[in-house]
Amino acid sequence: MPDQEIALMAHLLRRAGYGASRDEIEIRVTQGYDSVIEELLNPGNDPGIDEDLMYRAYPSYFDKAAIETGQTEWVYRMINNRYQLKEKMSLFWHTILCAGDNKVDNARTTAIQIDKFRDMGMGNFKEMLMMLSTDPAMLYYLDNIESHKMAVNENYGRELLELFSVGVGMDGESNYSEDDVKACARAFTGWNLAPTIPVFPYGRTPFEFRFDPADHDYGEKTFLGETGNWDGGDIVDIICKQPATARFVSRKLYDFFVADEPPVPSWTLSPPRDMDAIKALEQAYFDSGYEITAMLKVLFNSDFFKDEAVHFAKVKSPADVVIGTMRMVGDHLEPKPGLFFVAMEPKYMGLDLMNPPTVEGWHMGREWINSGSLIDRINFASSMLGNTELPGVRSIINRLMAIGDVPSSEQFLDGCLDLVGPMDLAQETKSQLTEHLDAGGALKHSTEAEQSEFTKRAGETLQMIATTSEFQFG
Amino acid sequence: MASVFLGINDRTFTYSFTAGRSEFQGTGFRNPMDFALGPDDVVYIVNRSYESRSDGTRINMFRIGDDKEEYITEFGSYGEEPGQFIWPMSIALDKDTNVYVTDEWTHRVTVFNRDGEYLSHWGTHGSGDGELDRPAGITISPDGTVFIVDSRNNRVQKFTLDGKFLGKFGSAGSEDGEFNLPWGICLDKDGNVFVADWRNDRVQSFSNDGKWLATFGRPGTGGDCTIAKEQGGMVYVDVPVGQFNRPTGVCVDNDGDIYIADWLNNRVQVLTAEGRFITEFTGDAALSSLGVDKIKSNPDMIRQRNGVRDFTPEKVLWTPCAVRVDHRNRVLIADTSRHRFQVYQKNGEPVLV
Repeated sequence: MPDQEIALMAHLLRRAGYGASRDEIEIRVTQGYDSVIEELLNPGNDPGIDEDLMYRAYPSYFDKAAIETGQTEWVYRMINNRYQLKEKMSLFWHTILCAGDNKVDNARTTAIQIDKFRDMGMGNFKEMLMMLSTDPAMLYYLDNIESHKMAVNENYGRELLELFSVGVGMDGESNYSEDDVKACARAFTGWNLAPTIPVFPYGRTPFEFRFDPADHDYGEKTFLGETGNWDGGDIVDIICKQPATARFVSRKLYDFFVADEPPVPSWTLSPPRDMDAIKALEQAYFDSGYEITAMLKVLFNSDFFKDEAVHFAKVKSPADVVIGTMRMVGDHLEPKPGLFFVAMEPKYMGLDLMNPPTVEGWHMGREWINSGSLIDRINFASSMLGNTELPGVRSIINRLMAIGDVPSSEQFLDGCLDLVGPMDLAQETKSQLTEHLDAGGALKHSTEAEQSEFTKRAGETLQMIATTSEFQFG
Repeated sequence: MASVFLGINDRTFTYSFTAGRSEFQGTGFRNPMDFALGPDDVVYIVNRSYESRSDGTRINMFRIGDDKEEYITEFGSYGEEPGQFIWPMSIALDKDTNVYVTDEWTHRVTVFNRDGEYLSHWGTHGSGDGELDRPAGITISPDGTVFIVDSRNNRVQKFTLDGKFLGKFGSAGSEDGEFNLPWGICLDKDGNVFVADWRNDRVQSFSNDGKWLATFGRPGTGGDCTIAKEQGGMVYVDVPVGQFNRPTGVCVDNDGDIYIADWLNNRVQVLTAEGRFITEFTGDAALSSLGVDKIKSNPDMIRQRNGVRDFTPEKVLWTPCAVRVDHRNRVLIADTSRHRFQVYQKNGEPVLV
């Protein structure tokens, strides 16, 4: 099977999902790149996992008494959802349309928002913003429940513009004014929550949206140059037809799936890394009537996505590190104890799922790496890849044995790199690793004792690969 | 409030009261999966909880009195040591009130005495005779035969009280007498065996020696768990009667009426011995005695509750896992995701609604 096709498919499955085992990559290459993209872009309506088996093993996922339960369920879905792009879109939107359970304090309500991102994440952006504007977690998180006809709270109106749609500016110009913020906030007055049954004595009940017409400002508003008796739905309509919104969504998709962009607040003065790519995505946004799937189709079929220069050019997010590793080693592919501890790993690496640090979300790219998170990333990945009892690691070892009766150190190392990527290392690093392998003697696997030693050395080599700087990129 | 009658109308049930509250320790429950009825109105409850709050994983004992509950004690804990469990699933009592608890993760049965002192455990993982793979439901006949739903082996196995293999019946499939990841089990007063055939969305009955007798309900969506989920899993789902969405628990009362915990339809259905629909319980919960105590201790909760206009989401059943009828003809339902029990009275004479 041509190496280039393997590399491209692995790249696609890392970006449009959380990676795949070598067996799946090869099956997908046989299926064909175009066909795989179509499959990714057209997921089924079913959950993509055996939900009933999950709930049988983890009945606490129904009520989600604590945010950790919601986080654990999400990690289970990330690992196992057979519609990987659909699943990854829930994280994509969560990193942009931020609400945090540290304020909402109702894990089920927060998790329902994530479920909506999953279900609607590849749909229409206008519908997404409408959903967001009636989403209880968001209305609570950004204080719209405190926004009244006679006392407007601008928080949601401001962030809807600044961080969720048009962005602060582009091409050196601001995209909106303070008056637009005020008009936007007035249009969402009365978009509130029903009184909620408190947590005692039977546990939390999800928040529910309720429109209060008596608290809505029906007055005339001028918003982004248009004047009328706008309500929230009109605001969303006006937002979606802005060129700045097309730019915003395009840059966000490019940032998440192709190559790192700077954070939104700097977009006024920082042009896109690849303007041609952004223009192509903007075109798809308008041509399709704001359909995210149409934009993704352009993206994944583009040369700018397939370009080898962007393979391994993004720093893996903590979710990519943890989920990608779990899928590679083949662990927690069905319910079992211990998932909670895996699910907390992204938090230790800086991605506290369902708890973004601010409404701006996480600063990604190289900002994922600091002295603490790097140690966690390395320790987690190396401990998993070094566990030679895990089925995915066993599969890698079996393939290494198939290289030959006594593979050279170079062959052995290349095999390891091929099977965990395919990826490459700096020549100096490779030389150090092959020297280490040479020092351990011939890599035989004829007898039971040799197989045991071969397995041990394979695990060690995979662990060392997980400690390299190259492994931090995906 | 009595339940709505859609079928046979010579039975009436009246909502009685709600017992328990959400607690990880002491005076409440955390994901009650199953329970067993002991003497003197004492109930032994399996609390599953979850991994990050494994302190909630335990068995506790309550007395279900005339109109309220009383906490007695708790025992067992999370782990794989003797007397511990990881995924406790079901519970049964022998004639001496020793307590038997199945664990779907460790594939074993742990035995305690009536006061919760650990006695022993047995069970070996596997698929051979006497071996278990994810033991779920458990029940014990008056003669001391232990019936265990051997879930992943898609069969029921019979053991002595100390775990010696006696027999088995059932195999994987969807034909009569076959199972797909079965869960709950019970015996009727004649010793016939009823099994909640979980992933086939039906209940099957067998003679005591394992001969297939009948199938109740039918596979199919019936209720749609995505609907339940979108509604928070707590809103009445209007689905056709006689259809099950992953039935979990089953029991049969002395009249031969069959009660089925219809898990993902958030209800309990009641059928006649012939399988005709009698009624369903979707939940009528009010505040329990312990619930009132909890709220009274927190003025902020009182204020919040006073502002609520619709308590329907709090009243309804949410993924009930088990149902039993006690010696007073009271129907006890483990309201698993609400961490409480809803209690109904089966009336001896028809009651005007």
